[in-house]
This record gives sequence, C-alpha cells and structure tokens, in this order.
Amino acid sequence: MNQPKTNKILIVNQSAPYSSGNAKESLDLALAAGTFEQDVSILFTGDACYQLLAAQKPKEIDSKNLSQMLKVLPIYGVEKIFVDEQSLLDRNIKGVDHNLNIKKVSANESRELYQNATTVFRF
Amino acid sequence: MVFSILVLGAPFNSQSAYSAFRFVKAALESKHTIYRVFFYQDGIHNSSAIATPPQDEFDLYQGWQDLQAQHSLDFVTCIAAAARRGLLDDSEAKRHNKDNSNMAKQFDLSGLGQLVEATALSDQVITFGQ
Repeated sequence: MNQPKTNKILIVNQSAPYSSGNAKESLDLALAAGTFEQDVSILFTGDACYQLLAAQKPKEIDSKNLSQMLKVLPIYGVEKIFVDEQSLLDRNIKGVDHNLNIKKVSANESRELYQNATTVFRF
Repeated sequence: MVFSILVLGAPFNSQSAYSAFRFVKAALESKHTIYRVFFYQDGIHNSSAIATPPQDEFDLYQGWQDLQAQHSLDFVTCIAAAARRGLLDDSEAKRHNKDNSNMAKQFDLSGLGQLVEATALSDQVITFGQ
C-alpha cells in the first residue's frame, strides 16, 4: 500500500438489518477503513435504525446478530457512530442498544457530517 | 482528475453497472485518470467469465474486459463479496475445494482495503448503484 492521506470517510447506512446484505457489507467496509486507520464515521438513518435495537434474535432466521457485530467497531478504531434522531422518532424507537455508544444527531448535525466527509458511501 | 469507481450493481439487473462503464470510458476519453474500479456487493457479477447475454444485446461483461485490456486498468473485485455470491478465480476455487472457477482474468480478487486505499489516492470516488 502506498502512503494514503487520511481520508474522512462517512458510511451512511439506510437499510434494515436482515432484509439485504447491506448492513453486513457496510460494516465490512467500516472495519476495513478502520484497519487502515482512516477517519471513519457511520451514520444510521431510515430503516437502518432497526440495526441498533438491543435483544435481536436473528438465530431464528439463521443469521448472525448485527448489533453484536457492531460492537467490535471501536476495537477497529471506529468510534464516531451516529443515528438520525428523526428516524428514531418516526419509527417510535425509544432506545437503541446502549452498549453501542451511539450519538443521536439532528438533521443539521447530519448535514455537517456530509459536509466534513471527503468520501461518502451509502448502503 | 484522478477517479476511482465503485460498482455495486450487477449487469442487466440494474442500469448502474452500464452507467459506470460509460463513465469510465468517458473519463478516459477526456484524459482523466481512473486509479481503480472496485466491484463490491452485486457489482461483483460484472467480473463473471461465463455470463452470456443474448447476441442481440450489448455484452457488458465483454465491454469491461476489453476496456481493461485496452487501458491496463486496475479492476478489483471484492473477494468476500464474490465468494459468497459464487464467483471464484482459479486459486480461490482451489482453496474452497470447488471444481470450477468462473472469473474473468481481467479482474483481480482482493479485499476492501483496496477500496479504502483508492479513496485515499483518488480525487473523487464515484459510486454506481444503491
């Protein structure tokens, strides 16, 4: 690998947890970016809020637990994890898995996340 | 300008793969640099060696292969995304004990680090698909 400049990568997650491969494959990208010591932020918005629920029981559909997998992010240096407040309200989601250490952001704050990023990936 | 391209859509199923192809061609014609084309999620299907569209339709698979050969482009297909969707090169087929490989030789299997590196070394990353 050449000497890359430190990038500001924003990964925007908009997909529900078990309806497609998006949640898993965006997490894989976040982990890779963290491994290469990039400045990574993740924003959960829309139906992706459901990824953050505690007490998911995906074993019943032979899937791996996504909120468990999200917990490894800080180990890879990915600590800036955000959720769009309005998306939670729209879905009447009262609480996200508190082990995930996620910051709620307003529409203005999420706009800033986009503005500060050098590259945005959407899943 | 140095571009990298992220392709997330499969040929036929979505227009995004064809749009990516057209963008790469246009960028090269305008003397821009394509640092890397990275194929991820369903985009990995673009690197199939065995897909056979009807003869009266544009063959995007062949289009990519010719474009790579013509400009010596760096085409990278995500190894994990490809394996779980049934796309293997010779060494991966051997490693997973499969009888056949089915990936065009113009593409290299590698990890997501190649996409991360491309974002750091390009002026712009353009995503096609999603």
